[in-house]
Amino acid sequence: RLLGARRGGAERGWMSGLRALLGLGLLVSSGSRLVAAAGGGRCPARRGPPAAAAWGRSASAMQSPGRSGVKFLSQEEAQAIDQELFTEYKFSVDQLMELAGLSCATAIAKAYPPSSFPNSPPTVLIVCGPGNNGGDGLVCARHLKMFGYEPTVHYPKRPGKALFEGLTTQCQKMDIPFLSEFPSEATLIDELYGLVVDAIFGFSFKGAVREPFGSILRTLEQVTVPIASIDIPSGWDVEKGNPDSIQPDMLISLTAPKKAAQHFAGRYHFLGGRFVPMALQQKYSLHLPPYPKTDCVLQLP
Amino acid sequence: MSCPSSQSGEQIEPLRYLSRVEAEAIEKELLEDYRFGRQQLIEIWGHASAMAVSKVFPLPSLPRKQPTVLVVCGPDQNGAIGLVCARHLRVFEYEPTIFYPKRSLNSLYRDFTTQCEKMDIPFLSYLPTEVQLINDAYNLVIDAILGADAEPGEVKEPYASILATLKQIRIPIISLDVPSGWDVETGNSEGISPDVLVSLAAPKQCATRFLGRHHLLAGRFLPYDVQKKYELNLPEYPGTDCVVSL
Repeated sequence: RLLGARRGGAERGWMSGLRALLGLGLLVSSGSRLVAAAGGGRCPARRGPPAAAAWGRSASAMQSPGRSGVKFLSQEEAQAIDQELFTEYKFSVDQLMELAGLSCATAIAKAYPPSSFPNSPPTVLIVCGPGNNGGDGLVCARHLKMFGYEPTVHYPKRPGKALFEGLTTQCQKMDIPFLSEFPSEATLIDELYGLVVDAIFGFSFKGAVREPFGSILRTLEQVTVPIASIDIPSGWDVEKGNPDSIQPDMLISLTAPKKAAQHFAGRYHFLGGRFVPMALQQKYSLHLPPYPKTDCVLQLP
Repeated sequence: MSCPSSQSGEQIEPLRYLSRVEAEAIEKELLEDYRFGRQQLIEIWGHASAMAVSKVFPLPSLPRKQPTVLVVCGPDQNGAIGLVCARHLRVFEYEPTIFYPKRSLNSLYRDFTTQCEKMDIPFLSYLPTEVQLINDAYNLVIDAILGADAEPGEVKEPYASILATLKQIRIPIISLDVPSGWDVETGNSEGISPDVLVSLAAPKQCATRFLGRHHLLAGRFLPYDVQKKYELNLPEYPGTDCVVSL
């Protein structure tokens, strides 16, 4: 790690390794990944430049191109880590949701800057599910507004908890419109919005997709504007994925990627939620690559 | 875009410096009308403060071999912001140490302490009065003792003694929101002179008396309607940054 090398000199070995890799031409910058051919939720026509590689402090220089060496979590591990953050470390859902939502907005701004949108101001549709993933979406919407985007939220099933009511009020008072009905036609979504954020289901998702989300996901499968999924592409099994559901262009894995991410074939895979204490990372052998400087997001290969 | 009154980084309308009443009114509006949670706000401010610290003093710029930072936390909200700031600095690979002589009994703030402890951030049991010890051990001091909500008038112990010590140190002091011991509007010519002031959300009137090297604004979350209502005329934040130099 760069910091270790700067401080102690004990890690100087890796620097000469790095030079060797450069010389052999094995280090490549993150070109955009090829977008899978069939299915919805991708934008074949709009293939903008890849997001600026977040190499920063040689995060991925130490890993071979392709796979980052990061661990992909099972659903059980993801739930265990979550539990530990709340019960052992005493983080509150409010705190972590704020950091998670900020990561999502930041990653989206990196991959889809306002200049890449056909319309100005850049319009984004955020579809929020009934749980914490939906809460992440609400926080994301608010930060996107601060970044100059024009978000619109669809939040059909709202939990009656103070946290979610507060987040909803914050958005509404910031003039973020809430659609009472989901657009019935994919073409309508394509016309009105430059990007869709899927904040429907997260890592706790199990079993069948309940309405209205089944219909919503079927419509999203037909859109051609990019879809950015928060943590898990909705409708996917958290470990096995789902070739018959939406195929998002972007995935923002929170804290650590889940096994489903191994089936992700979109252009942009980002890591966000930079709050996992080192002791917890070590306990679960997460092998998270180092985030660049103070960034709250990291692009994974 | 983000700030209607500024274009391409140039100020058209002057930045507003808040009175005590205005600062309190804004916070009240955020909590009661906008339904922000207090923990949520403290997290936003603490994170933004850590970003501000790293902007002025990036890791490679620190003079000492170890990137040590002393964070002095007061008993109320400013102290809680300091705890969150310390935690994010730890994530950014600084080595914060916290001095938190009077821990808040507020259950909302207690968890912030636990989070820091569980991340192996040491808590000093006392602050050395030997100024040289502080100068030698740390690169910077973060003053998170008293904020805009501090009672006007004399600073109570143990903070009066702590501030007297801080007045003598030679390493940079970064004050969060308001230099501790300063009146939020009129400042304090006898008080500490921080090198860096990190104004949270919007600057307070005492910031006009700030003579240090860097004044930054941190915390990019204020709804545009609040900005307009109080005529804050905040500068534009670059890109997705939550900190901007004033």
